[in-house]
Amino acid sequence: MPSIAGPVQSLINEFAKLPTIGPKTAARLVFYLLAQPRGEAASLAEAILALKDKVRSCSQCFSITEDDPCEICRDPRRDPRLLCVVAEPKDIFALERTGVYRGRYHVLGGLISPMEGIGPDQLRVRELIARVGQESPSEVVIATNPNAEGEATALYLSRLLQPLGVTVSRLAYGLPIGGELDYADEVTLAKAIEGRRILEK
Amino acid sequence: MIVRSVTLGSFRNYAALDFQPSPGLNLIVGRNAQGKSNLLEAIAMLGTGKSFRTSRESELVQHGQSLAFVNGVAELSHGSVTLSCRIVSAGGVTRKTYAVNGAPVRFASFLGSIKVVTFVPADLLLVTGPPSLRRAMLNATLAQERATYYADLARYAKHLAQKSAYLRTATSPDPRLLATYNALLAELAARLLLARARYVTQLTRAAAAIHRRWIPGGAPLSAVYHPSPALRDYAAGEAELRLQIGAALEEALPRELARRQCLVGPHRDDVELLLGELPLAQFGSQGQQRTAVLALKSAEYAVLRERTGEAPVLLLDDVLSELDAQRQEAFLGSVEGYEQAFVTATALPALEIGSAHYVVEGARLSRIR
Repeated sequence: MPSIAGPVQSLINEFAKLPTIGPKTAARLVFYLLAQPRGEAASLAEAILALKDKVRSCSQCFSITEDDPCEICRDPRRDPRLLCVVAEPKDIFALERTGVYRGRYHVLGGLISPMEGIGPDQLRVRELIARVGQESPSEVVIATNPNAEGEATALYLSRLLQPLGVTVSRLAYGLPIGGELDYADEVTLAKAIEGRRILEK
Repeated sequence: MIVRSVTLGSFRNYAALDFQPSPGLNLIVGRNAQGKSNLLEAIAMLGTGKSFRTSRESELVQHGQSLAFVNGVAELSHGSVTLSCRIVSAGGVTRKTYAVNGAPVRFASFLGSIKVVTFVPADLLLVTGPPSLRRAMLNATLAQERATYYADLARYAKHLAQKSAYLRTATSPDPRLLATYNALLAELAARLLLARARYVTQLTRAAAAIHRRWIPGGAPLSAVYHPSPALRDYAAGEAELRLQIGAALEEALPRELARRQCLVGPHRDDVELLLGELPLAQFGSQGQQRTAVLALKSAEYAVLRERTGEAPVLLLDDVLSELDAQRQEAFLGSVEGYEQAFVTATALPALEIGSAHYVVEGARLSRIR
């Protein structure tokens, strides 16, 4: 088999390192780029470099931002009485898409998982306690994933925060909207029964 | 329930197999390493979603392939179900995906679509072997019966693994994090303990009745559940049990910190088998122990059938040859109301059994009767 030109092979190798991209997809992307004008390749390269050069961590909430503090932390219309704790910056984007939450955020930088060497000291837990002390929100909403690590992190944080006199809540577990009851798996349904709520009069 | 068809692709030594089993007892005969157990393993996977032989599931994919599948159609007491399990093994990662009636589902929803009771040579050590065998016996039935039991068990195992890792690696463990794990573990342990206690009560009653029929007037067989922590009063209910388990975990914490290990909880449960007052493991003869195992397996079948209202598929992998003709007959006679069974043997058993006989030779199955 003839070997591919060096630069082609090296970009294929780089793309193949990305999540969900295998060698075949990587090759398709590279041959697509090869067929594009130089300007296209330049703007892609610039965008990638800008990602590393211009994006930094917000010194207040630890989300990703171009300017510090980030847009959400600077926004005076954001309700300072609500603080939502998430594992990663991408969770903020998911929650923001709902448009329902109007408080501020705090990014932990992961979930507690001693199996992967992540304890409370590896996360921004100390910073969270300090913020709750300074900003004295009335409620901390814990929005960690509904898996074992998310559950342990939520319970651990609530044990840390409750003595500070703040209300700690967690996102509800339950049924997807628009779905059908008989399609829900038993475990989700059992959680939804546990977390049922009284209808208002 | 009756498995009407089993289709394998690149599964173990089967490149492809299309098998239409018969109702009643399917006897599968063949020399070692021809594919008898592989076929039973595949049928069991349709019920449990997991291999009963290995935890390294990359072994399930035929050498040189990256995708294996087991498909099956089973007839239940009401209607039929199509099941599919795909195993993809590539780059050192093995993943399984499941579908029921063509729709993709999660493991917890796949598990128990058809019920199976497996009996393998390792089960013959149920009385004398390590406690993990007896816990596996409890889990096999309870997980097939209720998806929530399996979910609790899986979550318990996850939190336990995290707590163990923390005890092992933390230089100065945060007592609040340990208390967090203990609270999560106590909640799950209380539910597991209650489910296991109720099951053992039912199992011991059924096993004792079978044993009594075999050995009238003999010392009665019983199974006693020994939960960890050693609680006795289950009647108090889940909330009370959670408090008691929580207290036991707190009490054990200094020892756990010293030994850097999780020492209390359902991962340490055991079931003790008694003949009269005497523990069978220490005082029973080999014959008595074997009879007790058969009574337990038969009881396991009876209880799963009673609890689910379906006759589970019975899978006997290479165990008949371990039993004398009298025990073979007694066991098969005691499994009441089975609709379908799969039995493997290296030679035709002494007993005249089976509504259909097959021979397996180099991953090819042919019907001989």
